[in-house]
Formats: sequence, structure tokens, C-alpha cells
Amino acid sequence: MSGRRGLSDQTPTALLMAAPALLGLLLFLLLPFVLALAFAFTNLRLGSPLPLEFVGFKQFLRIFSDPGFLQALANNLLFAAVVVPLQTALALGLALLLDQGLRGTLVYRTVFFMPVVFPMSLVAVIWLLIYAPGPAGMMNQLLDLLSLGHWQPRDFLRDPALALPAIMLLSIWQGAGFQMVILLAGLQAIPLELHEAAALDGAGRWQRFLHVTLPQLRNPLIFVMLVTTILAFRLFDQVQIMTRGGPDNATTTMMFEMVQAVFTRQQVARASAMTVIFFLLVLLVTLVQRRLARQEGYRP
Amino acid sequence: MAIRMLSGPGRPASPAIRALALSLLMTGLCVLGGCSDTADSTDPVLEIWAHAGQARERQTLESQVARFNRSNADLQARLTLIPEGSYNAQVQAAAVAGELPDLLEFDGPFLYAYVWQGRLRPLDDLLPRRLIDDLLPSILQQGRYRERLWSVGTFDSGLGLYADRSRLQAAGIRIPTLEQPWQRDEFTTILDRLAEDDADGQVLDLKLNYAGEWYTYAFSPLLQSAGGDLIDRRTYAHATGVLNGTDSVAALSDVQQWIESGRVDPNIDDAAFTTGRTALAFGGHWNYPRYHQQLGDDLLLLPLPDVGHGSRTGQGSWSWAVTADSAHPEAAARFLAYLLRPREVLAMSEANGAVPATRSAIARSPNYREGGALRLFVEQLESGHAVPRPRTPAYPVITAEFQKAFERIRSGSGVQATLDQAARVIDNEIVDNRGYPWLFSGKSEP
Amino acid sequence: MIAHSRPVVRWLSQLLLLGLALLFLAPLAMMLLGSLKADARVLTDAGSIGGLLSGEFSLQNYRDVFARTDFLRFLFNSLFITSTIVLCGMLVNSLAAYAFARLEWRGRGLLFNAVLALMILPLEAIAVPLFYGISLLGLRDTYTAQILPFIANAFSIYLFYTFFIGLPKELEEAARLDGASTLRIFFSIIVPNAKPVFASVAILSFLMWWGAYLWPLMVTIGPQVRPLPVAIAAFYTLPPLQWGDILAFGVMMVLPVLAVFLLFQRWFVRGVAASGIKG
Repeated sequence: MSGRRGLSDQTPTALLMAAPALLGLLLFLLLPFVLALAFAFTNLRLGSPLPLEFVGFKQFLRIFSDPGFLQALANNLLFAAVVVPLQTALALGLALLLDQGLRGTLVYRTVFFMPVVFPMSLVAVIWLLIYAPGPAGMMNQLLDLLSLGHWQPRDFLRDPALALPAIMLLSIWQGAGFQMVILLAGLQAIPLELHEAAALDGAGRWQRFLHVTLPQLRNPLIFVMLVTTILAFRLFDQVQIMTRGGPDNATTTMMFEMVQAVFTRQQVARASAMTVIFFLLVLLVTLVQRRLARQEGYRP
Repeated sequence: MAIRMLSGPGRPASPAIRALALSLLMTGLCVLGGCSDTADSTDPVLEIWAHAGQARERQTLESQVARFNRSNADLQARLTLIPEGSYNAQVQAAAVAGELPDLLEFDGPFLYAYVWQGRLRPLDDLLPRRLIDDLLPSILQQGRYRERLWSVGTFDSGLGLYADRSRLQAAGIRIPTLEQPWQRDEFTTILDRLAEDDADGQVLDLKLNYAGEWYTYAFSPLLQSAGGDLIDRRTYAHATGVLNGTDSVAALSDVQQWIESGRVDPNIDDAAFTTGRTALAFGGHWNYPRYHQQLGDDLLLLPLPDVGHGSRTGQGSWSWAVTADSAHPEAAARFLAYLLRPREVLAMSEANGAVPATRSAIARSPNYREGGALRLFVEQLESGHAVPRPRTPAYPVITAEFQKAFERIRSGSGVQATLDQAARVIDNEIVDNRGYPWLFSGKSEP
Repeated sequence: MIAHSRPVVRWLSQLLLLGLALLFLAPLAMMLLGSLKADARVLTDAGSIGGLLSGEFSLQNYRDVFARTDFLRFLFNSLFITSTIVLCGMLVNSLAAYAFARLEWRGRGLLFNAVLALMILPLEAIAVPLFYGISLLGLRDTYTAQILPFIANAFSIYLFYTFFIGLPKELEEAARLDGASTLRIFFSIIVPNAKPVFASVAILSFLMWWGAYLWPLMVTIGPQVRPLPVAIAAFYTLPPLQWGDILAFGVMMVLPVLAVFLLFQRWFVRGVAASGIKG
């Protein structure tokens, strides 16, 4: 091997080492992405005997005049608008509770993190049972208990007003632990002196939270919110298993519409156009995050 | 050997290198695993795909395959069961790479798309003439396209209105027949009359819990009875003017009216009729065993109401076809002929309750022969009251859009606007496919 | 760290934690207890603690799972697919990251920036053309389609890179003077010193692929190479609907992972935290 010679000769070794990963990224990430961009402007269909044609922006015009897709986009945005703040607040609350060094902290951390190792499809199936309609359903029972018997049993997943909130709830249950662990690490990285200095200045618990904890947690908080927002745009498993986008599109999402297009209706081009819109949203969120986060360490 | 080179002579491999070796091994294995899926096709194996249906239906098919294999030493039939929810998607994706099995099952009305794409081989010359002649006209109607027979089912379906005889009698309601079905206004009056004796006024079960293909199957006959349809059947070129025409709108407005006036049980627990909450229930042949068990002699099977142009009903079910690229079309046809033997047709009919596809089997079926409890289903299929779903490659999009539209209409959306939108999407799809020009005339020759 | 809290606050916190923990555990308790009950009883009993704890328990549902599905095959598929992606990924991505972090070569800056830019692309942004390509190549319903595209991973490269760049250079220099090759230095010096980052990457990619649903749903056909997440969804739609069996399937599906998680919890938490702090 060439390692023993000078620095200038490292190029072959480096290429050899980087080649498998770079080739993989090129073939299975970059190339498909470029193809998605290209397909979006054609009439490509899986298995169609008709010739391929460029159709300009037709697919995009079709998508944006399709009430189903517009509803999907709205659902994704609503999901993000509700789940991101709620889940982040819950995760932050859990992290703060666990950061007090109380007895049993380790056990609690385990409990809150446990749903993260559950595949989402399993979570969806379990929650189908939790949302079982009729008075015997677990969620109906719980709400009956909490409302002291005033709750009328509902069929959560077939109720246009409740189906999306129902999916939001289980998503928060599954995902909060992941965020909690990240925020907890962030909390523990805050130098103790900062709190002590603030306490010496006479700052109360709440003021220290506002002026020490939150600013110090800025980057982890922005990070978990970014990840959760992108997850909200990727929402699929729960919808496919629990409601198939229904009732009346109340829970459909961009990804669900995309899979319906390419998988159920073989419309590769239309699904590619949806991919492009999805990507632009992800890009936008990421740019906003980069803008907000203070950059540290290596910067590309 | 690559391992020794990296670790150098005489030294034990470090953990990292062992991990490397393991992962290389696994990559090798997985590549092999990928290849072996396609590499072992030298045996005369007959690949068969079918949907994973109800347990008894599944078990019957599995035992039929086993029986066939025992009696055919030169041939092995191998069955793959695929979940019903993604069945068509799976077939379409497999077709692109020429990975279809020899014999393929699919939901009947999807046939025309497969034929248009050139995926199938005609059956006319593969199946014995007398076997084809023995089939119900509805089976042939569904399986024929562009003058060839492409698919046959071993059973057909029946759709009707189940009723509780004693409750009809108590309310003084006349019992209709296929010749004299309930008329549109009469049916509304009946619903109101039954509601007077009912605790919650919900007297009709439309199986709104089923969703999916049920909507198209069960409710497009009402459109047809009203004089409307899903698509223009003369040209198959557009849905606009038909699906959103006055007659179709009127039919679905009626359904919406039944729901909004509180006459329809949402049937969340799938037990509206068996628990006696409703006196009437739309239903298929598959509901009969449970209903009969619950109501006994009080169970009536009636035709759907006539909302203008006579009672119409649904037909069609899963059917079989031989694929165009199959290397063993004769063997596939032999298996198909085996499934169509009276004994096997009856076995399947017993398992899933469906109408046997052959007249010889019907004559031996207790439920379906003359005087049988479900004879109405056979009469509907033989007399033209049953309407096949549109015979066009556009059917997948037609049914998907109709289902969406029905879902919205049942939750209260405006009927006209909803159907306008559905018709527009269907028309767009047909234009996008240039009206499905016939490109495979050469391939249809055996 | 809020070191000195008043006792009232501590008690309230404890109470709050306990309540939240019970809420988090309820669905899991329901799954476990329901899996031990007769199918018909699950729907009627699952709503209340009393209902779940009363009545008879048996392992019949577990026997039914083995009778009605090919559970062991699905388990093997999931283990095989996930572990191959994780192991191959660790190797391939760490090698590339080392080249970026420590070697001098032409094109390094450009390519590394490209890799960083690719981090933004989730699977969903490429699923459609990838599905189209895999279908055309006839690779559906294979392990290859579920493994090969996901071995190279930009985020893993980035995680390795940030770790390698922080290692002291002296580590390698002595070995380099001894004439050791670059690969040799990597495997015998860097890898043993980089266990934490290997653990983080392994755990993150494991969590990602163990639960993957969208992609295997699209590329698997029959049960042959179907992994667990798709299998349980298919089992749920397979009539007749037997809730006890489904829950038993769920318990068995999650037990191995739960065991690994409880044993190596420290690493899980560290791995996840790493994704946040570095990201």
C-alpha cells in the first residue's frame, strides 16, 4: 500500500477508501434525486405502453388543482404546527424533570425513551386497538374517566375532526423520548457556573430558566424542532396503516398521496412532481434552521 | 484471503477486521440471496399469485394446489399469497420487470388494464370449449375484451338487500321480487315506515364500514338503475356528462338523503343487521352464513330497489388469467381447468359462499340451485340485472375516484360538485393515456 | 442543573414523573396483557386495568402466531437486513470519513461538501425513482433492494468525520513512521479509539432501518423477504382479525430489540444525543 510515502501520494488511497461510500451515494441518492427532478416534467408511468413525453409543468399544475393533494399539504402543515411545539414542550418538560437528579431518574428515562425503539408500524397497530370505537375502547374509557362520565364514545379514526389529532397523539408518544434525550444532553452540557452566577445575581428559578437554560439550549432546541418538522412532512406509516388517508382526506399526507400515485396508480411522473415539492419544503425548513442556529465547529 | 492480506502474516485479526470480514460475507450472502430468487427456474414450476383472502378461502386454495400437485407428478404449482390491500400495485410493479407468475389472480375489473398493457395471454384456445360453455354469462362478460376471452373466475359475486321478514310483515310492507322490485318512492316510504317501529330510526345498513371497492360495487348499480353510470359505455372516452349527469346525481342524492335523514346505521361494529338494529341491509353473498345463522327463516334476500330503469346489481369478483410471458401456458390452463371442475368450484363456493362460476356446479349447490336460498343471485347474473363494472383500462382510476367521491358525499359534500371533480379526474386520466389506443394486436395471437 | 430544590417541588416532580410514566407505559401494558388473553376478550377488556388483569391468561395467541404466520422468517429477514445495512454501513462510511478527515487529496473539499449537501435528502425524496429503477431491474422482492441502496449514508459519514477530526494526530504519527499503511493505521489505531462513534452510528442506523416501513412496503411482494414492520401490518389486515394474535406478534417483534435496548441503554442514549449535539 502507498501509505508510507509522503502526503502528496495519498490521493489513490483516499479514493480507494472513499469510493464505496461515494459510489453508493452517487448511485442510490444523487442519481435518483436527479431522476426525480427529470421525471417530474414527463408523462412517465410504470408499465405504460405509450411513449415517454416531456409535458412541462403539467404535473405540477395537476397536483395543485387536486383537492386531495392540497388537503394533504394542509394536513402536513397542521401536523407540524401542532406536533412540533407540543412534542418539543413535552420533551423539554421531561428533560427538565429528569435533570433534577431525583430518585429513579434512570428508570424514568428508560420508560420515556422506550417507545423510540418500537417500529412505527407496530405503534400504529397497537394504537388502532387503543382507539377502538365503542365504550370499551381504551381511549374512550380514559376520556370517560377524565370527564367523570360525560364522554360519549367516539370512533376516533373515522371521525373527520378527530382522526388527525388521534394520529398526532400517538406520534408524540412515540417520538418525545428521542427529543428528550437530546435536550437532556443539552441541559447537562450547560456549565453549572452560569446557573450559580445567575442565582448570585438574585435570579429566581423561572428567570434562570428564561435567561440561562433556554439560551443555552438554543441549538439543541432548534435541532429537535427541525427534525420533528421534517418528520411531520414525512408522515406516512401511521396514515397508511390506520386510516389510509381517510375519512374524506382528513388524514392524507404528501407522502401518502405520493405512494398512492406511484404505487397504486403507477403515475411515476406525478409522484416525482410531489417529491420535488416535498424536497423544496424540506430544503426551506433546513435553510431556516441553518439561519437560526449559531454555527459552531466545522462549517462547510 | 482478503482478510489475511489486510491483517498481515502471523497476526490475529483485530475485532475491526473480523467485523469487516463478517460484513463482506453478509454482503456476499445478500447478493446471492437476491440472485437466487431468479436463478432456480429450471424445474417445471408453475408460479401462481393469489390474494390472501378470508381464512377458509385461503385454506381451500392452498389445499386445491396441494391436491393438484399430488395428481400431477410432472408439474409443481407454487402459490404465493399477497395481501389484498396492495395486490394490484404489486402486480403492476412486477409486470414492468417481467416478473409476473404464470398464473395470476386479480380483481375482475382490473383485467382491461392488464390486457391493454400486453400482460396477458388469451384463454380461448387454452381452455376446453365445453368448460367455457359451462361458465355463467356474467363470468364470460367480465373476462372478454376486444373479442377474446382473457380471464375466468371460479366464482361470481351476488349483491342484494337482506331483510328481516317479521319486521316487514309487522309493518305491513310488501315483499318485492326481481320482476317487481321496490320503486324509488316506495323505498323511501318503507324506510320511514320501518323507522316508526325502530328505537333509533336507523333501519338500513349500507355497510358504510366497508369502504374501498365496496362503494363502487354496491352503489354504482343504483346509478345505473337511475339511468346514469360511471362512464359513457359506448365510447369509454369520458365520464363527464354521465357520472356527473342528472341521473347519477339524483341516485347519489337519494343515498345522501337516506343518510342525512338518519335512516342509515353507520355499522361501525359490522353487526347492525345481526344485532337487529336495522331491518334492511345491503350485502353480498359473503354475508349470508352469518345472517342466516342469526335470523334463520326470517332472513329474506331481496333485489336492490328500482330507482328508475329496473333493479340493477353488481357482479364480478376475483378471476384468473395466464400471463403473456409464461413459459408454461398449457400447464397454467391445466391448473385453471382443475379449479373449474365442479367439485373444486363447489369446494370454493362452500368456503367463501360465492356463486359457483359453472352451471354444472350451480346445479349441485344447495344454496344456488333452483329453489336454493341464494337463487336470486344466480337469476340476477343470468337475466342481465347484474351490470359489469366498466370494461376499460381506465377502471382503476374510475373506481378510485368514485370511492373518494362517495366518501365525500356520505359525509355531506355537495353531490354535483363532488361528481364534477371525479369526472374531471377520470377524463384527464383517459386523455393522458390517449384514450388507451390498442397497441398489442400482434401479441394477442397465440 | 437545578441543584437545590425545595422538598415541595421535588415531591411534585416525582408525582408528575410517575403520572407521565404511567401514561407512557399504558399502551405497552395493554399490548403485553392483551397478548395473553383470548382473542374475543381483547376488545372488550382492553379498556380498563381491571379488565386487563382479570380473566384467564394463556400463551395460545403465541402458538397461533406461529401457526398463522411465518414469524421466524420475518424476524430473520429484519435481523439480516438491518444488521447488514448497519455493519456494511459502519465499514464503508467510516472509511470514507477517515479519508475526508485525515488524508490530503485532490477533490476532497468539493466531494466533502457534496456529501454534506446530500445529508438533506431523506429517503422519501428519492423513493419514487428508486422504486422505478428497482422495478425495471427486476430487483423487487429481494434482500438486495432492501439493503444495497442504504449502506452508504451521508449522515453517518458526517458523524464519523466529526469524531475523527477530533482525535489527536499523534495517534497515527508513530505508526506512520513505523511504515504502517493507511488502511492498517485505520483498522488498528483509529477504529479501536473510535468505539463511541461506531456505537452511535450503529444505533442510529439500526433505529432507522429496524422500523422502516415505506420502502419495504413498496419493494416486497410475498412473505419471502418481508421484514417485521410490513409483516405486522399485513397480519393486521389478514382476516379474521384476531387482536390477541396481533398483540402477541407485536410483543415478540419488539422483545429482542427491547432486550438489546435495556442492556445497552447507555449507548442508545449516547448515540441519540450525539445526533443532536453534533447536528
